[in-house]
Amino acid sequence: MEFFNHYIRTSSPLKLCIIPLILLIVSLVSLGLTTLETGLPVYPGMEFQGGFGVSIITKDTPDQIISSFQEYPLVKVEEGINNGKYLKFGPMNDAMVLALTKKIEGTYTDAKIDQIGSSFGRTLQDQAGFAILISFIGMAIVVFLIFRTIVPSAAVVISAFADMAMTAAAMNLLGIQLSLGTTAALLMLIGYSVDSDILLTSRVLKRKGTFDEKVSGAFRTGIIMTTTTFGAIFAMWLVSWIGGIEIIHAISQVLLIGLLFDVMNTWLTNVGILKWYVNEGKGSLQAKHRGGV
Amino acid sequence: MDKNGIIEMVKDYRIAIYLILTIASVIIIFPHPTPTGIETNLQFGLDLDGGSWLQLEYQAIVVKYKSEMTIDKFIPALKEKIEGEVLQVDEDTLEIRKGLSEEEIRNIFSDLDTTLISYTPGVTKETANDIKRIMENKINSLGTQDAKVYVITGLNGISRYVRIEMAGVSMGQAKELVGKQGKFETRFHTTGNDTVHVFFGDSIQSVANPSQTPPNSDNWGVSFVVTPDAAENLRQIAISSGAVRKPEGHNLDMILDDEVVFSAPLSPDLAAELQTKATTNLLASTGYGIEGQEQAKLLEIHLRNGALPVEVKVAGSGAVSADLGEQFKFWCVITGICALIAVGISVLVRYHEPAIVLPMVLINASEVIILLAITSFFLQLDLATIAGLIAVLGTGIDQLVILTDEILFEGKVPSPNLYVKRLKRALGIIVASAATVFIAMLPLALMDLSTLRGFAIVTILGVLVGVIVTRPAYGRIIMAILSK
Repeated sequence: MEFFNHYIRTSSPLKLCIIPLILLIVSLVSLGLTTLETGLPVYPGMEFQGGFGVSIITKDTPDQIISSFQEYPLVKVEEGINNGKYLKFGPMNDAMVLALTKKIEGTYTDAKIDQIGSSFGRTLQDQAGFAILISFIGMAIVVFLIFRTIVPSAAVVISAFADMAMTAAAMNLLGIQLSLGTTAALLMLIGYSVDSDILLTSRVLKRKGTFDEKVSGAFRTGIIMTTTTFGAIFAMWLVSWIGGIEIIHAISQVLLIGLLFDVMNTWLTNVGILKWYVNEGKGSLQAKHRGGV
Repeated sequence: MDKNGIIEMVKDYRIAIYLILTIASVIIIFPHPTPTGIETNLQFGLDLDGGSWLQLEYQAIVVKYKSEMTIDKFIPALKEKIEGEVLQVDEDTLEIRKGLSEEEIRNIFSDLDTTLISYTPGVTKETANDIKRIMENKINSLGTQDAKVYVITGLNGISRYVRIEMAGVSMGQAKELVGKQGKFETRFHTTGNDTVHVFFGDSIQSVANPSQTPPNSDNWGVSFVVTPDAAENLRQIAISSGAVRKPEGHNLDMILDDEVVFSAPLSPDLAAELQTKATTNLLASTGYGIEGQEQAKLLEIHLRNGALPVEVKVAGSGAVSADLGEQFKFWCVITGICALIAVGISVLVRYHEPAIVLPMVLINASEVIILLAITSFFLQLDLATIAGLIAVLGTGIDQLVILTDEILFEGKVPSPNLYVKRLKRALGIIVASAATVFIAMLPLALMDLSTLRGFAIVTILGVLVGVIVTRPAYGRIIMAILSK
């Protein structure tokens, strides 16, 4: 913590922002490339792409499963923990889907089956994209209404955006697909990431004292907030992995990654921009009587 | 803290509201042991209770148009061209009950000197509600414990999908029930095994619920009304085959998807009546007792099935077995408890003071209890909703940390005046971050992205409960503890 305070005190705004900036550019390039390839910034999962997926718990080996589903277009078998298996099937006609469903329900007592048609997948995709866009714009408006000064508000919005972009890029890197669950997690990140940003900005704009003191005070509070949340989400990640609850596991995975990037984006990106604003921007004189909080 | 201190504190309205709400929530959830385990009043979704869902897409479109032809010429011409039903919604809007692509309908329109102005797949809200009613009838009369039909309407008032959720039904069964729309036909036995077509399902105008004729006779049947054309057709066939004089050997078959679902001769009464005039009111008798009643229920569905106004296609479906749901429930409880323990450990590491940590964790836990109680009124708990609950735990504890640190600023125990000032400042930050979470989740709560709706609603409720009830109460508690 001391090291960090020292680093913030001695570094110029540009130096603070440079690492996140490079990471953000790399992330945006990676998201752009994925968009060119798939049409979406993150690889779409079954819910957005359409398909037929089955989760079962069985001691059968993947080879045994493949041979027992020979007459169906089984694309791949993924292995989870606790004998959990995830089967993915290619396109089938309705009659085949019904026959396969019955076969699975007859063979495995604890199966979870999901089937999404491709046009329905596209509808979900469009709606999810729309939701993320509207959420982000809404958040930005609220932040501007709270601080009513351009630079500090923009700093919060930029940090939140960087958070989402980096997390999305990390999802591609780690092979976490975009599903309804992970979309929700990305939206939740908006909330988590502005939490610490608002704390920081309020303290810096509202309190008396030197910039460094205020930042280090905010840092003490902010870091405990993030570690506590991290603890809760980590527990969720671990237990859902053991229990094989795929959707909760995916959500917590994305939140964990996002929280890590949030630490960087709050205490480097946001602090960097604020430092510039307070020292060299027009904020030094106005800071004490501006701000809604 | 002494006894008076505690009494003083409970009298504070913030604490009082918080305590009342928490206790009320426990009563509402009402956990009680039963022979099969612990039961509560919570409602669980399909992925925790087991069951199936089907999302069906209407094969229909709603279009706006501008035509050179007059309406009374245009609509019949259009009907003939597409070989399907066309319904006029208002002056320039039509509901076309056939799943045509934008390209197809544009071409058809241009043949009829008409321009297509807008194209939306789906049906109008009125049609969607009709379909919902028919579906509910069809599924629930088959004795499914708990089927729910949701019409999903877009912001433009056009419904593209209908979602059906059935607890305790496998996906195979569910699909057989609703996934396909049957082709219903009646045929009349003329001589030997020869049959002749009488009418299709679309000639059935209305179907009554199974009833006993005469009343309380335990003789079950379904009465239904057909179009005058169909009635006349039946009369002609009955006369020409000689069935009006000798009904036996001339069964009327009802066929659904090439399968005979009902077959019976004309009753003597009906045979006599048909000799003089056609009748549109028909009654299909299914027999006596429970078996007759079951048969009647099935027949009612089949008769109605022919009357579903729009074809549907399975857009998506899913199922979770009851066993798996049971396991998920168990792990969800464990997840919640572990998350709470993790929160407790992290704040203990930071504050080293059980007197602060304990209220924090308790407030956090009670927030989840209050939320669960609220959801039990109008929301089914599913896995995504539970993920939302745990995420709320995370934002909740964040805000308690902000409160604690603001009040404990520089480690000094504040005077009451300073305390109020700091509390206000902390609540300012909290309200600000709550507002952003609220806005961020609002689109998801309003849109119908299946499972994510619950997630968003729980998050928004969590933020509201936090800002309105639990944060102010915590602020009061922490002051009492610090000024000790």
